[in-house]
Amino acid sequence: MIEGTLVDLVPFEDDFALYLETWMNEEAWFRAHLWERREPHTEHDVKKYIERMEKDERGALIGFQAKNGDPIGAVIFDHEWPRVRKAEARFFAGDSRYEGSDEVLDALLMLVRYCFETRNLHRLDAVALPFDEVRLEHLRRAGFVHEGTLRQHIRWDGDYVDMEMFGLLDSEWPGYAAKVAGLDLQPSGLEPKPRPEKKDEKKDGAG
Amino acid sequence: MLEGLLVNLVPYGKEFLERDHRWMNNQASFWSGGGERHFMTQAMIAARHAQWAEESGDINDELGVAFGVQSKDGTPLGYFGINWLSAHHRLAMLGAKIGEPQYWGGGYGTDALLLLLDYTFDWLDVRKAWLMTTSMNARVMRQMEKVGFRLEVRQRQSALADGVWYDWLAYGLLREEWPGRAALVEQLGLRERATAPESGAK
Ligand SMILES: CC(C)(COP(=O)(O)OP(=O)(O)OC[C@H]1O[C@@H](n2cnc3c(N)ncnc32)[C@H](O)[C@@H]1OP(=O)(O)O)[C@@H](O)C(=O)NCCC(=O)NCCS
Repeated sequence: MIEGTLVDLVPFEDDFALYLETWMNEEAWFRAHLWERREPHTEHDVKKYIERMEKDERGALIGFQAKNGDPIGAVIFDHEWPRVRKAEARFFAGDSRYEGSDEVLDALLMLVRYCFETRNLHRLDAVALPFDEVRLEHLRRAGFVHEGTLRQHIRWDGDYVDMEMFGLLDSEWPGYAAKVAGLDLQPSGLEPKPRPEKKDEKKDGAG
Repeated sequence: MLEGLLVNLVPYGKEFLERDHRWMNNQASFWSGGGERHFMTQAMIAARHAQWAEESGDINDELGVAFGVQSKDGTPLGYFGINWLSAHHRLAMLGAKIGEPQYWGGGYGTDALLLLLDYTFDWLDVRKAWLMTTSMNARVMRQMEKVGFRLEVRQRQSALADGVWYDWLAYGLLREEWPGRAALVEQLGLRERATAPESGAK
C-alpha cells in the first residue's frame, strides 16, 4: 500500500476483483482503453484480464480506494520500456460517483509518484479522446503536456475520432508532496458502497 | 509481387530471413529501433522466426503484412510492411528497414513506400496509414515530407540513442490525402535507373 492524500494504492484483489466484473463493462473503462474493440466482458474475461496483468512484467494493475476503504477504481502502468525508462499511464473511476473527482486526480498523481519516485521512470505517456473532458482535465492538472493529436485515428461510436497524446517527464514533476501542496484537493465525502456479495459465500449459503 | 521503379515488394521469404541476423545486428536496427543496439545470436533469430511461423497461421485481424524489398537485379535489401493492422479501426502502422546501408538515401525506400501505400489503401481498405520514427532520423523525416504525411505527435525525450535523448515522432496519412502512387511518381519525378547504389549514406 502507498498512502496518498485522498486515496491509497492497494493490490488489486478481493472486492476490487468482484467490482471489476461491473467496472469492465462501463464507459469509464472503455475510455481508458480506447484502442480496444468495445465488446461485453464476461466474468471469465475479467478473471483472465486480472491474471494477465498479474503476470505482466512490464505493467501492473493497481487498485485505489478512498480513505474509508471504499474501492474506487484502478491505475495502470503498461508497456514499460526499460531501456528508455518510459511507460503508459492509465486510470479510471470504476465507481461512477467519483467520476471527475479529486480522488481520481489523486490516484493519477499517486501513479505518477510511484512511476517516477519508486520505479525510477523517466517519462510517462497518456492518451485521451478529445471529448473526454474529465480525463483531459485530470491530465492537465497532473501536469501532463499535450504533445499532439493523432488525427481520425480510431473508430468510436459511429465515427473516426482523434486521439490526444500527452507526456510527462520526470524533470517536469516537482515531487508528489510539492504537487499536492499546489492543488487544494477536496474529498468528495461519499458514503462507502454496500460491499459486493462474495460468490463463495452465496454458494455456501445455497448448499 | 508489387513492381516499382527501383525495387519490387516480394514475400519475406528464405533469402530475407537468412539476412535477418545481419540486419538485426547492424546500423539499420539502430535507426529503426530509435537507438537500439542488438546482440542477437543465430539461435535468437531462429526462435523469432519460429514464433512468426506459428503466428502466421492464426486468424488474427491484428497481424501485419510483411514484404521483402528487393532491388530490380534480385538483391534482398530489407523489410517494408505493416507492423500492426487494426481491422476495426481500419488503421495500418507501417514499418521499414533497408538492411543494407549502402542503399540508403538512393530513393529505394521512397519507391517501396509508394508501393506499400497503394497496397494498404487500395487492397486492405485502410483509412489511415501511420508510422513512428525518431527526431534523429532525417531520412525518414524527409521521406514523410516528400510523400505527404503530416507530423501529428512529438513525444519528447522518448528515445535514447548513444546517450542522447530524442523524440519519437508520429506521422499520419489519411486515405483522402493520398493522391495515389502514379501521381506521386509523377510529382517526385521518379524513374527507373541502374540498380547499383549511386548515393550511399552511412
Ligand atoms: C528509412 C529508409 C527506409 C528510407 O529509405 P531510403 O531509400 O534511404 O530513402 P530515400 O532515399 O527514398 O529518401 C530519403 C531522403 O532523405 C534524404 N537524405 C538522405 N540522407 C540524409 C541525411 N543524412 N539528412 C537529411 N536527408 C537525408 C535523401 O536525399 C532523400 O531525400 P531526396 O529524395 O529529397 O534526396 C532507409 O533509409 C532505412 O531503412 N534506414 C534504416 C532503418 C530506418 O531508419 N528505418 C525507418 C524507421 S521509421
